Amino acid sequence: MTISDKIKRAIALYSAVILFCILLPVILSSALGYKIDLHAFKIYKTGIIYLNSSPSGAAIYLNGAKHNDLTPAQIENLKPGTYKVDVRREGFYPWEKELAVRPNMVTKEEHIVLFPLAQKIKRVARYPLAEFAVSDKNLIYHMTSYGLFVSNMDGTGLRRITPYSNWPKNILGKKFSPSGDRIMYFTSHDIYVIYLNPDKTATEDNQGAKIEQALNMEYPIVDVFWYSDSGYLVVVTEKGINVAELRGGGKQNVVLLYKFNSTPKDLYYDDANDSLYFIDNRKEEGLKEGNYLYRLDLRKNFFGQLMQLLIKKEEPANK
Amino acid sequence: MKNKNFYKRLFEIIPGFLTWATLLTLFVLAFIKPLWVAIFVITFDIYWVIRVSYLTTLLLFAYRKLEKEKGTDWTGKCRSAGSQNGLEFGNIYHAVLFPSYKEGLDILTPSIQALENANYPKDKIIVVLSVEERAGEEAWKNAAALQEAHGKNFFGFLITRHPDGIPGEIKVKGANATWGARVLKDLLDSKNIDYGHVIMSCFDADTCAEKEYFGCLAYHFLTNPRRFQSSYQPIPVYNNNIWHARSIGRILELSSSFMQMIETMRLEKFVTFSSHSMSFKTLVDVGYWPVDMISDDSVIYWKCFLYFHGDYTVIPMYVTVSMDVATGKTILETMAKQYRQKRRWAWGVENFPYLMLGYMDENSRIPLRKKIRRALNILESHYTWAIWAIIITFIAPLPIILGGGLFRQTAIGYNLPGVSVMLFYISLFTILICIFITMRLLPPRPKDVKRTKSILMIAQWLLSPVVAALLGSTPAIDAQTRLMLGRYMGFQVTEKSREK
Repeated sequence: MTISDKIKRAIALYSAVILFCILLPVILSSALGYKIDLHAFKIYKTGIIYLNSSPSGAAIYLNGAKHNDLTPAQIENLKPGTYKVDVRREGFYPWEKELAVRPNMVTKEEHIVLFPLAQKIKRVARYPLAEFAVSDKNLIYHMTSYGLFVSNMDGTGLRRITPYSNWPKNILGKKFSPSGDRIMYFTSHDIYVIYLNPDKTATEDNQGAKIEQALNMEYPIVDVFWYSDSGYLVVVTEKGINVAELRGGGKQNVVLLYKFNSTPKDLYYDDANDSLYFIDNRKEEGLKEGNYLYRLDLRKNFFGQLMQLLIKKEEPANK
Repeated sequence: MKNKNFYKRLFEIIPGFLTWATLLTLFVLAFIKPLWVAIFVITFDIYWVIRVSYLTTLLLFAYRKLEKEKGTDWTGKCRSAGSQNGLEFGNIYHAVLFPSYKEGLDILTPSIQALENANYPKDKIIVVLSVEERAGEEAWKNAAALQEAHGKNFFGFLITRHPDGIPGEIKVKGANATWGARVLKDLLDSKNIDYGHVIMSCFDADTCAEKEYFGCLAYHFLTNPRRFQSSYQPIPVYNNNIWHARSIGRILELSSSFMQMIETMRLEKFVTFSSHSMSFKTLVDVGYWPVDMISDDSVIYWKCFLYFHGDYTVIPMYVTVSMDVATGKTILETMAKQYRQKRRWAWGVENFPYLMLGYMDENSRIPLRKKIRRALNILESHYTWAIWAIIITFIAPLPIILGGGLFRQTAIGYNLPGVSVMLFYISLFTILICIFITMRLLPPRPKDVKRTKSILMIAQWLLSPVVAALLGSTPAIDAQTRLMLGRYMGFQVTEKSREK
């Protein structure tokens, strides 16, 4: 190695060492959230605000002063304290909030949604309709006075699947069966089921869909749920919990599983386990009088209970 | 020496222990003190970027020297040098030793042809082809065929069979090389040639020396007043099959070449590597290569270093010797071959216990400062090799992953990925320099290789972060762990074969 090589290498080595000595404190202190004030010859702790919005590209105002960056943005070297943050974009409602900046910490607001000032409304269908139902297959079923129609979510592909139009006026709820091939809707006393066959178009004999009244209940209906296999409905009336079998023709089994002591409220049906949660006022030993939360597991004992109830029901006739 | 085995094991354990202690400590701290690990990672990243930049600068210096000395008529310079330090150019002999195993004629013939093509008087070159007995009759027939075809072109062409199972030997290249050197010694004795006039070059079977290699070597030997206390190291390149090799193999071997070029600028750390040369007299004096160690190429340097009480150097020569890229038919096969080859190189960590035990010899007169510096050089290079890629690729994200939600809300937790990525991008500029030097060192494209392969020679460097993550440190960790646990490696020959 010549002397010039040694000098060149020494220059490279010492440059590297000096560079390391300069870069390390600068990068490390910046990463840790410290800022060096060269004028005051002081180091102080800072915090960071991170903002992201949907849509992005919104202007940021900190305590009324416009920041250079648009969202998404990381605003560094902020002295600890509270900042009034405005996120604004033309054509959108502004977002504003007071954010606390803590030393060496990051305050994140990364899910800001800016809503447009003028919301665009689009008419999906050209027929006036009574009701509609949306399946999880991204299809809209239009219940119109011209019949039952089906379309895509944007209204395209609209076609009639049945001319049936005798929809009741006061429909309280609609639910698709777990298999998605039936829609159940109900009024205060009546339950109807639409048997869908959406692949077929409507003909005179209504091949696209068939609508039938499934049940008429004596007491006002509170809610109706599909039992998981779609062959049964769990009907909750003001008086009790019933299970009704959907069977084309013949005798229809309807069983009262539980009688309420008070008007039921806050119903929840667990589809995964076929359990019904409800509140009722029952007198039980060792418990204060009042409303308690109960659960009725339909799947575990459902068929057993149903069979027992059916046998009991039929016993007088046999005697 | 009392308790030699105890100290040997102690020094074998130290490198692996340091590596594992570092990695495990960082892993545990990432759970309990993520802030500490994040500070360490950023510091290490900055250190690494600056180190890579510094080494790249040295690479450029070395490359410039290589370019500057390219085309030098070294043999002419030798002739005009006259008598130097009691030696005449005309008295110098080159002995080129090829310890070989099962390498076929497709590998060996080009190596011999490269000697024939050398710009150097062939009547001053002796070829020694030492074939392992266990390689079988085929290998011996090949050796005989080569002697028959090329023997008349040199002063001597010796072929010999290294017997298996000589007491004290293990199956390593050094044992074969030592056998070959002893056979050469008999020839020199019979011809009454002074060992001090003979330069021994120990080449891998696939080594093709460039035309000026022997002239350059002779010139450095002739003009070096301390010629017996020096080894002579060329720059290894892997050009033999580079156009046909897989990209992963190319990147790794090119990186090895670059590291060797860089080392030529750091003489205080410079150690012989792969194919290299030295005085035959010195080789005989120190008792040849160790016959029971894998890293024969570097251990011979340390053997000389201890023998001359620390007064031994490696002279860099800016001429190239070309070898084969270890490659396979598939990417996986290439990776496996490369892994095994790099692990064998990383087994050079066995030099550390060797050197430390050498220091403990009562007759050692090496200055303490030099002892410490050289031992730390070995330790630092193997330690860094084993940890750098793991820290950059696997430890760096750990504070974020394991540090918990609170840490992620801190400024450093938030900034860590950004800082790491920024430093990574800065380090990428060094790849541009690697691409430039690669293109300059590349041999002409063979006719059977498509033109688009030239683009791949550039694009391949995009793989370098992935290659570094997979094969950057793992072979070194493997080797150090084996040494630490006393599970000694055997010599695994890197299979060489070329596409026809």
